[in-house]
Amino acid sequence: MAAIRTTALTKRFPGGFRTPSVTAVDALDLVVKEGEVYGFLGPNGAGKSTTIDMLLDYARPTSGSAEVLGYDTVTDADAISERVGILPEGYGLYDRLTGRRNLEFAIEWQDAADDPATLLDRVGLDAADADRPVADYSKGMTQRLALAMALVDDPELLILDEPSSGLDPNGIRLLREIVREESDRGTTVFFSSHILGQVEAVCDRVGILADGELVAVDTVEGLREAAGAKSTLELTVDDPAAVAIGDHDGVADVSVRGNRVRITCTDSRAKATIVAALVDQGHDIVDVGAESASLEELFAVYTNGDHDPAAAEVPA
Amino acid sequence: MTVTEIARKDFEDAVRSRMLWGIMAVFVGFMAFVIVIALNTADAAEATSGRAMSLIAQLAQLFVPLIALIAGYLAIVGERRAGSLRILLGYPHSRRDVVLGKLLGRSAVIAVTLSVGSLLTAGLVAATIAVPDPVNAAGVLGSIVLFGVAFAGVAVGISAAVRTRGKAMALAIGLLLIFLVIWDALAALTYQAVTGALPGLKVEAWYFLFLRISPIAAFRALADGFVTGPISDFFVWGLEQIPRDTSPEQLTVANRVRGPLPFYLTEWFAAATLLMWGVVPAIIGYTRFRDSDL
Repeated sequence: MAAIRTTALTKRFPGGFRTPSVTAVDALDLVVKEGEVYGFLGPNGAGKSTTIDMLLDYARPTSGSAEVLGYDTVTDADAISERVGILPEGYGLYDRLTGRRNLEFAIEWQDAADDPATLLDRVGLDAADADRPVADYSKGMTQRLALAMALVDDPELLILDEPSSGLDPNGIRLLREIVREESDRGTTVFFSSHILGQVEAVCDRVGILADGELVAVDTVEGLREAAGAKSTLELTVDDPAAVAIGDHDGVADVSVRGNRVRITCTDSRAKATIVAALVDQGHDIVDVGAESASLEELFAVYTNGDHDPAAAEVPA
Repeated sequence: MTVTEIARKDFEDAVRSRMLWGIMAVFVGFMAFVIVIALNTADAAEATSGRAMSLIAQLAQLFVPLIALIAGYLAIVGERRAGSLRILLGYPHSRRDVVLGKLLGRSAVIAVTLSVGSLLTAGLVAATIAVPDPVNAAGVLGSIVLFGVAFAGVAVGISAAVRTRGKAMALAIGLLLIFLVIWDALAALTYQAVTGALPGLKVEAWYFLFLRISPIAAFRALADGFVTGPISDFFVWGLEQIPRDTSPEQLTVANRVRGPLPFYLTEWFAAATLLMWGVVPAIIGYTRFRDSDL
């Protein structure tokens, strides 16, 4: 059984008087395996939150279906909320009540036996802050409290929508630790973000969503390789004809134009060794230019691909 | 039982809202002011506690719906906009539990607020005029609470049905104006359309049924039995063709309807109408809420 499985999941928002209808999620087939940490990446407006809203039955699919822990999201929503810890986007807590009271309500609602103090400690909220009304909280403190509420009753699946928003670097580090701890306990974590750097460190697999469609699914390693694969090195040398590096490790292609040599590498680490090898061979290197697709660039390419055909290829 | 959990949390949250207690203070203050003024200018002989209770009931026609709508129109749509509904529904609560819990919670808040307000007002009457008859005082208090619960249901129904605070407010104000101002005219004009004449002193019984569908008229019908003298409408169009010299005795419903009073013009039926207002709008609101995106 997959922790999350969507089948041709589609959400279309009907257009208004003058606005066209918008397809926020388009025939999405998503599979999150049990026990993995899955990074759900995409720029703002890609449809991440709409997808999560449908997983939690906050929004109903226009067509297609979704299952969470084997339960249908529309017909068995209650069974899902019993087993899933949720940090939704655009949530609000009860401002007039203290942080502790909010957490106590969450524990009561979940019929759990958690100790509020332990949970507060895990998310780094001290007792004095917990006794203040949530209205006085900063965004980061609110986010920590909401995370504590999501952890109530040791959920089988954690769904975190943009969990790092509002967190300071310490908070982000804490969040990563919590995700790792939960993952070690066997909890599946589904984690959405528009910032690649934040999923890179903790996720086993990453799915990239653009315009409501899944454009890539891979391990972080796989994505890194895809990014490294097409990095290029451009050298300006005095005697291009004498450059002989065709059999160098990690070189896919060499082309010469004027006094410039263009080398396509499958491994970005090859660039430095190529330069070193050429210097050893006695070449006079006038200029070195390198372009490598970082994960960010790769992400940008995947997610902008439809809008900018020129960038549809990985930067070469 | 998640319904009672939601109701309890809602009650706790609403009780902390200063606005609600502020409105109640205004309610009691205004009641006290009007009662003291009205009874001091009236003939001392007429200033009885029964008349005072009648005045309370008359003012309640405006204040009770106002308090109930203000206290309830944001019950669900407010949480929807603030995002706390996303937290609430993230726990094993169904949308039905949310509407039902909110209905119970807000009804309890209104019942408590109005009971305290009415008791304070009755205390004022006792201090300034005379101790009111306990049975009648309890009857007026009960009518006011039931009236408040009816409008709490309307408010929660509206709150569940719409997606924005603005729409909720517009609907609440619109409904209040309809029942406060337009309903009587609508009944009279419908009567004219059906019978060919505006209602006179003697009318068909269904005319009163039509009038009493309005929760405000139902409240009037219910509270009428516990006060001295009639509770007049808040806004009178004058569409009823009543001769000038008609005595108050002739104006009672029992005397204006031909034959025996049908069951649907009894006080019990008026009470049932109020209960219906407390429940049906919430059910309609729920059916819309159930199928909509947050």
